[in-house]
Amino acid sequence: MNDGTRFVTFPLGEQRYALESDQVKELLMPAQVFRFPHTMSSLEGVLVRRGRVIPVCDLRSAIGHGPERSFYVVAQCNYLGRQEVVAIPVSGDCQLVQGERGEASGAVAFVSAVLHTGGRAFPLLDLDRIVADCIQPAMGVAREAMR
Amino acid sequence: MAVKELERRPLSIARAVAPVAATAGPVILFTAGGMRFAISADEVQEVRGGDERTTISKLKGSELIDFALQVGLGEGILERLLVLKPGECALAVTDVERMASIPKVVSLPGLFRGMERQWYRGLLLLENEVVPLVRTEYWRKFGRAGSGA
Repeated sequence: MNDGTRFVTFPLGEQRYALESDQVKELLMPAQVFRFPHTMSSLEGVLVRRGRVIPVCDLRSAIGHGPERSFYVVAQCNYLGRQEVVAIPVSGDCQLVQGERGEASGAVAFVSAVLHTGGRAFPLLDLDRIVADCIQPAMGVAREAMR
Repeated sequence: MAVKELERRPLSIARAVAPVAATAGPVILFTAGGMRFAISADEVQEVRGGDERTTISKLKGSELIDFALQVGLGEGILERLLVLKPGECALAVTDVERMASIPKVVSLPGLFRGMERQWYRGLLLLENEVVPLVRTEYWRKFGRAGSGA
């Protein structure tokens, strides 16, 4: 299928992933993450952007990439039936590309499809699923809130 | 299909509106467990030294809540008591810093859906800091349930 859709690609550790550009609201330079005690795993805290607070979700529990971060990809996801905005730390340059979506070969966790662009293929993240999986209320205070 | 990689460029923000949940009015900034919090000054009956905790208990049968411990920061250094109106319970905290007039409270983002939604009314945006504004209704109820310090 050739849909010519635009995508944003970004690295999480060694692997480069993609999201549809419609989901991506903004790319932010590294900024201070404001932390406070809370119980949600994988949420580090919040970024403040133009008077708006954006929760930061570290995907390492799902993807396993390291702590280095070059940008934040601010993206929209569906969480428990509501549209929410989340900032995802990524470990290198982000690129806006055009490409075509293909089927993922086999069931890969948190990957909804494959983006083919420039002779390369990138896993297309299922952001709704990965966020829902990572962000869970814990019995105690989340470690991420206290780092 | 020949795929053309587009030039790198920043993506524009779709919405930059700051949702404001409520006005906070004057707040008291305090520290507990090494972190800063705020509480509406209108909800605080009085501020006392930690050594007066016995007096408070005798006066009203008040429950003392180790705030740092309850929000997961470990047992706090309890130097000050924020007695909540009408005096049935008090938050035991490390220090009371100052009062401030904060015009805006921003709602907790929807991704925070655990106990923090009970603990806090929202977030105050200070100049270089984000400070949780405690939800006094919850802590009064918690104190009445007798789970104090």
